[in-house]
Amino acid sequence: MPEPLLEVKNLRVHFPTEDGIVKAVDGVSFAIQPGETLGVVGESGSGKSVSFLTVMGLINRKSAIVEGEVIFQGQDLLNVPKEELQAIRGNKIGMIFQDPMTSLHPFYKVGDQIAETILAHEDISKKEAGTRAVDMLRRVGIPRPDERARQYPHEFSGGMRQRAMIAMALSLNPDLLIADEPTTALDVTVQAQILDLIDRLQSEFNTAVALITHDLGVVAEHCDYIQVMYAGRLVEVGTADDIYYQPMMPYTWGLLKSIPLLTAQEERLQPIRGLPPSLIHVPEGCPFNPRCPYVFDRCRVETPQLLPVDGFHAAACHLSLEDRKRIVEQEVLERT
Amino acid sequence: MRGGTIREESPEFGWTDAFDPTGEYLGTAWGMMDQLLIRGLMTYKHVDAAQGGDTPVPDIASAPPTVSADGLTYDFTLKDNVMWSPPLSRAVTADDFLYAFQRINDKKLVAQYGNYYCGVIKGMDCAAKDDNQPISGIKVTDPTHISFTLDQPTGDLLYRLSMPATKAVPVEVRGCFPNPGDYGVDLISSGPYMILGQDKLNLSSCSTIKPISGYNVDKGMTMVRNPNWSAATDDTRAAYADGVQIKINSNVDDSFNALENGDLDVVQGTPPVAVLQDFETNPDFAGWLHADQGDRTWYVTMNLLAPPFDDIHVRNAVNLALDKAGIRKAYGGDLRGTLATSVEPPTVLPQSTQINPFSANTGSGNATAAMDEMKMSRYDTNHNGVCDDGPVCQNILFLGRSTDPWPNMNQVAVASLKPILPGLDLKEVDTSTGYTTLQQVKKLIPISMVPGWGKDYASPYGFDFFIFDSAGIACTAAVNYSLVGMTEAQATECGVKPEYDAYVQNNGPMPSVDDKMKECVAKPADQVDACFAELDTYLMTVAVPWAPWLWATQFTSTNLKTVVSYQFDQNAGIISYVNTSVNNGLTPQNVA
Amino acid sequence: MLRYIIRRLLWVVLVLVVIVAITYSIFFLLPGGGSDAIANRFAGKQPNPEIVAEVKQQFGLDKPIYVQFYIFTRNLFLGDQYGWPGLGKSFVLRAPLKQVLVERMWVTIQLAVGAAVVWLLVGIPIGILSALRPRSIWDRAAMTFALIGISMPVFFIGPLALYVFVYKWHILPGSGYSPIGEDGLWQWFNHFILPWCVLALLYAAFYARLSRANLLDVMGEDYMRTARAKGLNERQVIVKHGLRSSLTPLVTVFGLDLAGLLAGAVITETVFNLPGLGQYAVRSVFSLDLYAILDVTIIAAFFVTLANLVVDIVYAFLDPRVRYT
Repeated sequence: MPEPLLEVKNLRVHFPTEDGIVKAVDGVSFAIQPGETLGVVGESGSGKSVSFLTVMGLINRKSAIVEGEVIFQGQDLLNVPKEELQAIRGNKIGMIFQDPMTSLHPFYKVGDQIAETILAHEDISKKEAGTRAVDMLRRVGIPRPDERARQYPHEFSGGMRQRAMIAMALSLNPDLLIADEPTTALDVTVQAQILDLIDRLQSEFNTAVALITHDLGVVAEHCDYIQVMYAGRLVEVGTADDIYYQPMMPYTWGLLKSIPLLTAQEERLQPIRGLPPSLIHVPEGCPFNPRCPYVFDRCRVETPQLLPVDGFHAAACHLSLEDRKRIVEQEVLERT
Repeated sequence: MRGGTIREESPEFGWTDAFDPTGEYLGTAWGMMDQLLIRGLMTYKHVDAAQGGDTPVPDIASAPPTVSADGLTYDFTLKDNVMWSPPLSRAVTADDFLYAFQRINDKKLVAQYGNYYCGVIKGMDCAAKDDNQPISGIKVTDPTHISFTLDQPTGDLLYRLSMPATKAVPVEVRGCFPNPGDYGVDLISSGPYMILGQDKLNLSSCSTIKPISGYNVDKGMTMVRNPNWSAATDDTRAAYADGVQIKINSNVDDSFNALENGDLDVVQGTPPVAVLQDFETNPDFAGWLHADQGDRTWYVTMNLLAPPFDDIHVRNAVNLALDKAGIRKAYGGDLRGTLATSVEPPTVLPQSTQINPFSANTGSGNATAAMDEMKMSRYDTNHNGVCDDGPVCQNILFLGRSTDPWPNMNQVAVASLKPILPGLDLKEVDTSTGYTTLQQVKKLIPISMVPGWGKDYASPYGFDFFIFDSAGIACTAAVNYSLVGMTEAQATECGVKPEYDAYVQNNGPMPSVDDKMKECVAKPADQVDACFAELDTYLMTVAVPWAPWLWATQFTSTNLKTVVSYQFDQNAGIISYVNTSVNNGLTPQNVA
Repeated sequence: MLRYIIRRLLWVVLVLVVIVAITYSIFFLLPGGGSDAIANRFAGKQPNPEIVAEVKQQFGLDKPIYVQFYIFTRNLFLGDQYGWPGLGKSFVLRAPLKQVLVERMWVTIQLAVGAAVVWLLVGIPIGILSALRPRSIWDRAAMTFALIGISMPVFFIGPLALYVFVYKWHILPGSGYSPIGEDGLWQWFNHFILPWCVLALLYAAFYARLSRANLLDVMGEDYMRTARAKGLNERQVIVKHGLRSSLTPLVTVFGLDLAGLLAGAVITETVFNLPGLGQYAVRSVFSLDLYAILDVTIIAAFFVTLANLVVDIVYAFLDPRVRYT
């Protein structure tokens, strides 16, 4: 097995607040291989964004307790000096965010903002950086890129802005692209375009991608691997096929059921009942137990471990494998 | 002690209208002009009342005038060696005096007390089209002789001939200043001082005359010695200091700080409370504060056309009840002045001739005496000493000032009057609104403590005329607030005929001092005071338009370390710059 | 943009006319005002009808109000016998107002601009440093200073400062205005330093709080995260991305604050005896000096409307989202 591009080991990110400690990420381990796509799925507050912001060093270390290791290309990003981290950000790891409306600085021209990224890492002239910025805009499919480069973000549509963000994130040909809910704020047709663009660029640049989303439907199509997070922990990991066709965790089932299906127009969407747990008072036992329809006594006392199902596929659930397989066949997959 | 500079600060330029002697109407500016800059036929000794500072004495006139037996002609002989300051540097002549009167007579220059001359000196009507019209009653036979012929005898003429508007104005500026006040920035000196830079004026033509550099009414004024002045010609001005500089400083506290620190020699006016306390209690400052008789009367005015004050008994009762001492205490204490017993301050009408008809009120109000008086009023229907006749006695507007410390004073005044007038309704307004409200005859404000009054010159006519003569009643600009002496024609014109008729019907003819005033002013000089004493008695017993409560003090603060001798000028009502000396050894600086 | 500016300038003219009209109305309609009041004030103790009429004629108060208003407004824009703009003659000074106002405006400008420099140099850095270390000792100290500064009125701190620096310690000369041309740069500076600091204190405190709050807000913006994710160093992130957008809103506030002061810092001018516009405005009101009152009102209105225009234009350059047509 080749050396992973990014390996996160037992990562904990806790925020002390006046009400108690918010355990945003609570012991998460995973790895991303070069060039592959990892989907990270979960409701908001599941810790998926926080874990990757921690990878980028974008969590304020003064207000958070961070434990574990984040090994990127052999370096522990949690312990490198600020300057080195800055050299990696934007250069080796690019990141795009949920809301392209607010993620670009409103006062600077789009081209200049991309060029700024390049200039932060490469010793070239402004003019050259400008040319490359235009080139990047062209590569993300923005028409009349030289003209567009001279415009301000507010003159771009939402999809265009996200393309510009992607251009910025990929302008230095990073090894890893973290896409944090890149399509959530966009309308459906644009969503598909953006995801296709990420796909295309991934193969073009040979970049590994971490695609963070709350929408399981999005990742299934675009990811090699998927990990499902709940209450700051991994509750199921596996290949896209594993998660989509053999989900082994009631929470994953809930996520699957809440995907809108074009075929089943009459059937109402089934959201997962209940609310995500408070990260300060995570329920005893399985964190999902208050919302789980299959909950039994053990779930309320013992926290399930992430146990292998087969191959790479693993899930954290006290239900027996047989029961879970039966339920999947009878209740979950039936609707797909 | 000669030399040094009198350094003074003043909070605003409000001490002068425009510094043009013809149109100037503010006492401080009068005093400064008369003492320091311009000389006339008559002047005062520029000392306090005790030393005779309120009596006119010859200035450029070599002696008191020769008055004809009928009292209608005044002949003056002038000193021939009083010189104008540079660049004129020539002797002051009779023509310069004639020119001053031609200016007063010029309608456009709005001589504000022109009535002291127009209708008095033959040929003067204050309606001339310019400053070059002949005056039949003033004759100049040669440069040192001028004579005035009057329409009627005028006992206090010499007081009037010491007013700033009558001081010599050089004929060279004739026609150069057709607008009121304009001459103020180019005032040419005949006195011991001149405004700094005045000698640089180019008088070759009207258009070359630029404002004098040492005077900016916005910043200050510096006066330096007039090199042409000779002490030998001048009996009233010692002119110790080499100069006087008056700087405008909007921060009064700052001025007093500077005074205490020796950066100033003089600050005029009432010090802030904290400073006042400091002056009174700190031995270092003993003697720094001078309280001189300011020749001003504070009073409560009552409107004869506004019931219940149409009834003399009510007005008498107010005089008896008013807690003058209490008001003075609220005003700042004993230093503020002497409790008034009649209208004219003692320096205007000598104390010996004054009366005190309300002596039952020893100062703090006498409610018993007041109620006894009130019982005689027809508005006291049950004769218990309280005004009780229906609506007349209810909601009686008492207009007072709203600025500190007046609200407290209003309270004291109203409280002392409540036993007889429970219906008093105190309303407080700012001073300016108070005056403009009172000035409108039609408003018929019943009773008010807003106004105060000061003399024009130290003879009763110069105090009484406007405030008690019917001439002081203009429908929207009356200063005779009580309307004493109002004529039927005035009542009709001002729209208060019904009230006037009601007054006459209920109280008989309107009391008036118009005739008495004419009589008194026509008396020979030595009988004037006695006549006015009668007028004063009439005012305080028959007309009773006022309840006077204070003859107010003028405050001057001096730094005793630098001011080695202090003198007050009674006529001017301010420090005598010319008879005060300083030892600071400074040369005058331009503060303008 | 040019069309926009021209349109706005025309708007300024309209505002000035309305201001003149309102001031006229207030002056003539409220108690204590009006032609009669002025005439009486200047007609002396015996305001008989002839003298009052004469005074009114001399002051141009004999005509109906609307004619006076028309003449004043026309002179204002087209000039009068004393030049352009026609600001008339003071009843009190008996002198053309233009020179007086220009002199006083110059004093006020020195006071206001100097104070502005002080409060910007003091307030903004304090605010920024506080925002960068929120809840630190420095932040708490700075915000305590700000709170004190905001609650210290000039009429309290001004005399206190004068007393301490001038009369107690004798390190500065007294109050008053010392023109550069007359007494030299050093005297000029010595006379202005206290008024500048005292006037600036309140604003410095206010700007410290404002820039701190703005920067804290901006620090939470998504684009700040983007800037860091791009690999910019912290200085670039703060200076180029943070300050640019957190200080831009201050332009509006600053423009209006400065304009307000240019119209006269009444209390500061009075306490430190600086012959500026504010001091003059108060005096004019008390002395019923109609044209002086109108002029200072117009100057104030002019500064404020002009500042609004300048602020809007500058803002459009600073924030590309704002464009005027």
